Amino acid sequence: MIVSKWLPAFLLHIHQSIILLLLAMLWVPSGLASDWQSVVDEGKNSDVYFHAWGGDPQINNYIDWLAEQVKQRYNINLQHIKLTDTSEAVSRVLAEKSAGNHHAGKVDLIWINGANFAAMAQHGLLRANWAQQLPNFALTNPDKNPAVTLDFGVPTQGMESPWGQAALTFYYDRTATKQPPFTLQELLNWSVDNKGRFTYPKPPDFIGVSFLKYALISLTPKSKQHLLYQAATEEAADVVLPHLWQYLDALHPNLWRKGRYFVSHSTALRRLMGDTELSLAMTFSAAEVPAAVKRYDLPTSIRSYAMHDGRLSNIHFVAIPYNASHSASAKLVANFMLSAQAQAKKQQANVWGDQTVLDLATLSPEQVALFNQTNTHPSSLKTTSNSPSLAEPHPSWVALINQQWLLRYGAKNAKNAKKQVEQ
Amino acid sequence: MIKSADFFTHAVQHTPKLLMALLILPVLGGLVGVLLPAFGYIPALNKMSFSLQGFNALIDTAGFSQMVLLSAFSALSSTLLAFIITILILACYFNSPWLYRIQRLLGPILVIPHAAAAIAISFLITPSGMISRLFSPWLSGWQSPPDWLLPHDAWGISMILGLTLKELPFLLLMALAALAQADLGAKLRAQHKIALSLGYCPMTAFFKVVLPNLYPFLRLPVLAVLAYASANVEIPLILGPNAPPTLAVAIMHWFNDVDLSLRIKASAGAVIQLLLTITLLAAWWLLEKLTKRVSQTSIINGKRDYAGQHIMRFTHVTTFILISCVVLSLAGLVLWAFAGYWRFPSSLPEQFVFMHWQNALIQMHTSLINTLLIGFSATFIAVIFTLFTLEAEQQRAQSLSRFASLVIYLPMLIPSIAFLFGLVWLQEQLNSQHALFNVIFSHLLFVVPYVFLSLASSYRRLDPRFANLAASLGATPASVFWRVKLPMLISPICIAFALGLAISFSQYLPTLLNGGGRIDTITTEAVTLASGASRRVSSVYALMQMLLPALAFALAWLLPKLLKHYQHKA
Repeated sequence: MIVSKWLPAFLLHIHQSIILLLLAMLWVPSGLASDWQSVVDEGKNSDVYFHAWGGDPQINNYIDWLAEQVKQRYNINLQHIKLTDTSEAVSRVLAEKSAGNHHAGKVDLIWINGANFAAMAQHGLLRANWAQQLPNFALTNPDKNPAVTLDFGVPTQGMESPWGQAALTFYYDRTATKQPPFTLQELLNWSVDNKGRFTYPKPPDFIGVSFLKYALISLTPKSKQHLLYQAATEEAADVVLPHLWQYLDALHPNLWRKGRYFVSHSTALRRLMGDTELSLAMTFSAAEVPAAVKRYDLPTSIRSYAMHDGRLSNIHFVAIPYNASHSASAKLVANFMLSAQAQAKKQQANVWGDQTVLDLATLSPEQVALFNQTNTHPSSLKTTSNSPSLAEPHPSWVALINQQWLLRYGAKNAKNAKKQVEQ
Repeated sequence: MIKSADFFTHAVQHTPKLLMALLILPVLGGLVGVLLPAFGYIPALNKMSFSLQGFNALIDTAGFSQMVLLSAFSALSSTLLAFIITILILACYFNSPWLYRIQRLLGPILVIPHAAAAIAISFLITPSGMISRLFSPWLSGWQSPPDWLLPHDAWGISMILGLTLKELPFLLLMALAALAQADLGAKLRAQHKIALSLGYCPMTAFFKVVLPNLYPFLRLPVLAVLAYASANVEIPLILGPNAPPTLAVAIMHWFNDVDLSLRIKASAGAVIQLLLTITLLAAWWLLEKLTKRVSQTSIINGKRDYAGQHIMRFTHVTTFILISCVVLSLAGLVLWAFAGYWRFPSSLPEQFVFMHWQNALIQMHTSLINTLLIGFSATFIAVIFTLFTLEAEQQRAQSLSRFASLVIYLPMLIPSIAFLFGLVWLQEQLNSQHALFNVIFSHLLFVVPYVFLSLASSYRRLDPRFANLAASLGATPASVFWRVKLPMLISPICIAFALGLAISFSQYLPTLLNGGGRIDTITTEAVTLASGASRRVSSVYALMQMLLPALAFALAWLLPKLLKHYQHKA
């Protein structure tokens, strides 16, 4: 190149970037449209194996609805593979990679976020740079909401498309306890007065880890909180984690089964609330609470609320494995998931109640109207409740918390129980 | 001599070999597929050299020894309990019509899949369960559920209870099946009578005269129960502790973990599981020898009574508790499946609704079709293979070699968790992409032993003179088989078919692993939902799990009668 003779290298770099950027602005949108048309042509009339956690009938029903819609639109047969744990799909894709199956993978689309995403991304098990090509992705207004391209702090690099967002919601049984705790410290006091009426699922359960993260953020002094949003180091862990263990050491004896047994899945919390064994529990999908009351699974005395010292919030995504057999079809499904119609349906309290990832400012008034709903069930979360949103810590903290939690409270349990029996 | 060159005879002749291959290859291949990664050879993770890293990681795992102990303790104690209670019931009611009444009451449990039984029992013993509701608040004073450690107690007591309740009817049925053999049953009953006339207490007479002759027929079932109890995952998943869980459950979690390097540890764990099961089987064998040695003199010491009345009373109480547990668990399950709001401590729901069934039936049709399709395919193949193998045995006029009989029961004795992961890997290597086929094939491994066990004795007992007569009238071996033997065996074949279906319906691990999680059956859904949010939905699935095999057995009972009826009319 002639210019390179007299331009300093870094200037050249900038120069090239600007040209590229200009070029991109000029032709990418039109290119997108034609690209997308080819995706539509290729993706029609096919199966899509959607591996998604299947433990909630409401969500399963919503996925059934999605299947009907993509069948009508694209003649796609969306098959919901119900997982008990998303990691099952991760091991499946790895097993395929190990068997040299690089093109005919059985997993087309995965509902994923957090540690599972980090693991798949790290092992190169996901297709990259497709999410931003979805026409509906623009509706999330990614420039204004960088959260839709960050999965627990890790850049998604177009490997996954946002699907919904959730915040930690608490619910309590009004018959059993008049006044629920509104902060983490109040929770400790409340647990003394209501022994055995609260628990959290053991890590690596999503809700369990989320509770620990909420506690960690609440317990970490403001001056040290930046540590939680960087990769976890041993030094940082020595600074922040002792607060957490100290709190848990105090809390555990007051928990359900005296903290000797923790449920493995968050879904068990709702069952135990229904049995009135617990009087306080939490969930990431606030709408499941009134829906469960309507289905008789929870008593009518259940009320939802948000903790005053903050709600842990995060976005969940769908991803396409690198070897998916029907990747174009999976993109069509992911794009439809981001449509105003699908997102509005998903947000309805009686459907799923999962908060939309779309920026309503990008939508037409008719589309915005889809999102309006009247929410009157006495057990549902009051929309007026405003508590600060707490961002997810860097994912490296999850592994560290899990590992240390299991060391401290996991395997030891049986020993402690034995000791107590012997005494 | 039978001159045989037709297709049927050829097919029959080769079936035993084919059956052996069908059973040996996947099981041994699967074992190899677990052994290689256990010693660090796992190309997927670019690990191509052998090491003991997996075993070291395993030993360093917090609570590893507890996992092994928990597995061993729960397996041995539940098998021992189930065995002892079976023997006590047999001894106590040997000459009483109650024996068959108890059998009829407990029999249905046999066809209940383990997962469903575990769900029912967890509903019974949970702090807000049926027992606690029945005694609250009038006796216990509990206004809200107590905070006790059942189920999921660290000692595995809930698990032991579940396994015992589930395996006892199996052992009892096996014992009664042995006693139903005309020669053996008659001989033992006659000897028992003689002992009574010599003044032996009925209990003592049973232990000294009947048991030593009956036990050989119970050995294999007991060993199968022990092997199953040591390595199953459904019951510990639903009733067992999770900190730490049993070894088998931990292995399953490691295999499914996001951290892929855990697979080496999981494979090493599977090898340990295999050793554990073998050790337990050996321990039982030793126990058997020891008991024999110790009791040898007392059998012939002429003592007539060992507190027989007390033991009988104890047996009455135990049997009563057992049956109450079964009835209460089932009642609880049915109540939950129709319950509206049902706050503790009410013994009955506030209202009864059909909503849970309606919701579940809409959602379960795919898994229902899968369940039936897999069950019928696997059982059909298993029955054909079994019949042909038994026919080959008769044509050759010699029974299967000991080796061959052992191979048939291999999948019953080798813990499935020890070879299924290897089998999945093997199927991946063969690029067998068809999930449904893979699942049917893996179910076949578990269905064959039971179908064989159930059909063999009737087939071998069939009077050879019928076949000889038909052959002397000029019938080919094929027409003797199809037109003489099968019609005479229609009842046992139907029962074997129903048993095969029940076994297939209840499979959890093979469906989950070999189907790659792609194939949902009623059982996989029931296990998923057991840890789920809704007791009501979980009950519906558990009841569905019970209804399916019950229907199969009802049909197996009804079909031969209908056929007979039709034949008489025609």
